[in-house]
Amino acid sequence: MVDQLPNLGREKEMLQEMGFDSIDALFADVPMGVRMNEDLPLPEAQSEEELLADAKRLLGSNVALGEKVSFLGAGLYRNFVPSCVFQLITRGEFLTSYTPYQPEVSQGMLQAMWEFQSLISELIAMPVTNLSLYDGSTAAAEAITCAVRVHNRKADQKNTVYISELTPPDRCSVIYNYCQGAGIEIKKLRHHENGLINLDDVANAAGSCAVYVEQPNPLGIIDGGYPALKEIIGEHTALIVAIQPISLGLVEAPGNYGADIVVGEGQPLGSPITAGGPIYGIFGCTKNYLRLMPGRIVGRSIDVDGKEAYCLTLSTREQHIRRHRATSNICTNETLIALMGAMHMSLLGPEGLEELAIRNMAACTFAKQKLGSIQGLSIVHQHQSHFNEFAIEVPDTGKNCLTYLEEKGIIGGFDLSWWYPDKPNRLLLTFTDQTSGDDIEHLATELQSWVNEVVA
Amino acid sequence: MSHLFDHHGAPGKGYAQPKPLLDGSELSLPDNLVRKSLPRWPRLSEPEMVRHYTWLSKRNFGIDTGFYPLGSCTMKHNPRVNEVIAQLPGIADIHPHQPEHQIQGLLSIYFEMQEMLSVCAGMDAVTLQPVAGAQGEFTAVRCFQEYFRHRGEHQRTKVIVPDSAHGTNPASAAMAGFEIIEIPSKVDGRIDLDALRAVVGEDTAAMMITNPNTLGLFEHDIAEASELVHGVGGLMYYDGANFNAILGRTSPGLMGFDAVHYNLHKTFSQPHGGGGPGSGPIGVKQHLAPFLPTPIVSRREAIESEQEQAVDEFWYTWHEPEHTIGKVQQWHGNAGAIIRCWAYYRRYGKELRTMSEHAVLNANYLRHAIHREAKAAGVDHMFVDGAETVVAKHEFTLSLAPAKEALGISAMDVAKGLLDMGYMAPTVYFPLVVPECMMIEPTETESKDTLDTFAEDFAKVLQVDAETLHNAPITTPVRRVDEVYAARNLCLHHPFDE
Repeated sequence: MVDQLPNLGREKEMLQEMGFDSIDALFADVPMGVRMNEDLPLPEAQSEEELLADAKRLLGSNVALGEKVSFLGAGLYRNFVPSCVFQLITRGEFLTSYTPYQPEVSQGMLQAMWEFQSLISELIAMPVTNLSLYDGSTAAAEAITCAVRVHNRKADQKNTVYISELTPPDRCSVIYNYCQGAGIEIKKLRHHENGLINLDDVANAAGSCAVYVEQPNPLGIIDGGYPALKEIIGEHTALIVAIQPISLGLVEAPGNYGADIVVGEGQPLGSPITAGGPIYGIFGCTKNYLRLMPGRIVGRSIDVDGKEAYCLTLSTREQHIRRHRATSNICTNETLIALMGAMHMSLLGPEGLEELAIRNMAACTFAKQKLGSIQGLSIVHQHQSHFNEFAIEVPDTGKNCLTYLEEKGIIGGFDLSWWYPDKPNRLLLTFTDQTSGDDIEHLATELQSWVNEVVA
Repeated sequence: MSHLFDHHGAPGKGYAQPKPLLDGSELSLPDNLVRKSLPRWPRLSEPEMVRHYTWLSKRNFGIDTGFYPLGSCTMKHNPRVNEVIAQLPGIADIHPHQPEHQIQGLLSIYFEMQEMLSVCAGMDAVTLQPVAGAQGEFTAVRCFQEYFRHRGEHQRTKVIVPDSAHGTNPASAAMAGFEIIEIPSKVDGRIDLDALRAVVGEDTAAMMITNPNTLGLFEHDIAEASELVHGVGGLMYYDGANFNAILGRTSPGLMGFDAVHYNLHKTFSQPHGGGGPGSGPIGVKQHLAPFLPTPIVSRREAIESEQEQAVDEFWYTWHEPEHTIGKVQQWHGNAGAIIRCWAYYRRYGKELRTMSEHAVLNANYLRHAIHREAKAAGVDHMFVDGAETVVAKHEFTLSLAPAKEALGISAMDVAKGLLDMGYMAPTVYFPLVVPECMMIEPTETESKDTLDTFAEDFAKVLQVDAETLHNAPITTPVRRVDEVYAARNLCLHHPFDE
């Protein structure tokens, strides 16, 4: 029996008052030829108790990362989110509201999102940010199409953008799909064997519409070459840098080394991984891109009494007004998850962010030290700075290594042959604030045993 | 007022964390990338932080606060068990790159959702990857594009959209590179078959339409429209924003559509959270299935060695469609939203049809009650139906044009008056084809008593004099917000220098 409908049992009374004799009368306008005459072939309705039991059984059968020792990251990071974030987010006034079309009764969310913009602006050193895009990949894609809108007129290489060759294929695919419509050609930027960007190759991107790189890069490397990028590509080519937000507690903000647009996966700040969604994409830019950027923006204003008030602004960029000339089709975004991010940032404060960044980088560095001493296994870019993760080369396939580790109760990381098929023997191992010293010791011991087995 | 950036706790105090595995001095960064100054974030202790966000929440209106008849947005109750389920570690603490054998439960739920959505919409295949309705639209038109390329029909560059369509339709098609042909709808917002006939041709890629349309009316000529578009080799796209109205009564498949997006967060239930997250799966007929984003979930019978990890007699796997367009979101869509909607669906099962019937019952009843109360109060001359019709579907429109003309009271004035009565205002000024439009969608989760009271209060607002209404709202945390000021004096973040 369904228990979600307040008017069950009152249908007749309501219909009679309207002068109808049955529910069918309300569907009389559906032509016979398109009516569904059979019942839906679906199971019986469940009570809350039955549903909960099924949910616990099915979801309980999944192996949650926290049940094992896990080193899987590759773009999503298992960070601790403080308890009060989860408690506050369930406030129905936040949870069950929608896009603040009526600002007078939506000041709470509007102000919270204006504060989110302020927090992110400070974090990435950009004057303008929006209320979130779907995830890091769509933020990257929207940044690229935005850059083409802004720069194409003056570009020598029309409709052309350059992205790092290390960009994971899944992210590339999203970028490709978004670029299709505008006829944008995507070219790749080469990296050196040592993992750093090839600055000579970047010179070829000068005069194109945009350059897209990630910091840390997809192999976890903090690339000291990036501060040189803007000067190489010049004023009329957008420098787009994707970031891991927690890293910015230690690493310079891209806005301070020439980035024009900064994007990123917001997830590590405020959100569990949740199988990849809902999470939120960060998007910030300089004022040059303001009027052609995607997404919702909150402005501080005043009400008729001159009192401080907040509202959505620059809406004339958006689909509900500009329709096919809109800068993006985005309507529903990820506000609630961005709010979780804002709450997490509020609690951390500047020093808390730095501490969190240190914890993440320390776990990664500690692991590098431990794993670096295993005979028969190498850290691919040993001499670079890594944040959260690094690649190792193993004496057999990464796949076999992961299978062995799983038998030992370890989720061993990411098989890099998924991204780079010519590298079958590489794993990307991830370490966060949730990685303990014991976890790393455990991993090192098992890797050593496996190497011994394989080499023997 | 509580301002986040007014909190200046002592540096280094506040949220306590465990010690790092190594001291900060043992970490090395390239010299030119050491952050010179930390973000100027505020410093709050937990009690201050909790109080700030609680204060903010009290200045926000949600479904839990009161009636939220925001047309087109389907603001229905969000069952709380769904939130409990979405926080279980078996979903919250899952990584999308985990191997299939570690996530059989999740994959089985994905499969169940794909099947259920296919059945409800009369489609053959479903992807759950798009994370919002608009992204679903974009995904589908990208599939259309590849479908036509595959067939060598490169001349199909145009997408037809009625002028009453949601703005996302033309925006999504334009993003995919299509040229938009907007056709006028009839006075009731319905398809004008003559106008459609005049524009279809060899260059037609698709028509995008929602049914019931944005005026809440069923497009009774939909089968003819499908025939016209199919007749020239084009595809029919169903914008599922209004699917809540027809589930179990008809389906996009029966109406002749080739593809559909579902706003899971509307038709099922995922809290809209001040603007998202959402979830926008798409369903397609067989001929488009090979182009869907990758991966989708398929299943086969489990073999003996898999029995231990299997959740039922099947083994669930990720599957890449043959000519896939690739990905539109990097991971597997908004899994957390999909789980909530799965939970919502399970509460109804085959009675989903009852859900839609009650959505339509409530909309028609509210429309009736508003007319009834307005008549009783002698204010029924101040508005007319947005379109003449015997029945509406899940929402309906009113035009406040008579009030505007006679008394200078606009739809916006009435909306602001309703805020003072403790309601969220209906959608105003959309669809554009109705002058001084007010679009009202009560959803199935409101009681008759709420609808009656709202109707009475609506009539009361219409009795308020024009000047008072121009000044409404007066009881809200702030009064009318100056949007022009906001745009002219852009202040998009905390101004530290003030």
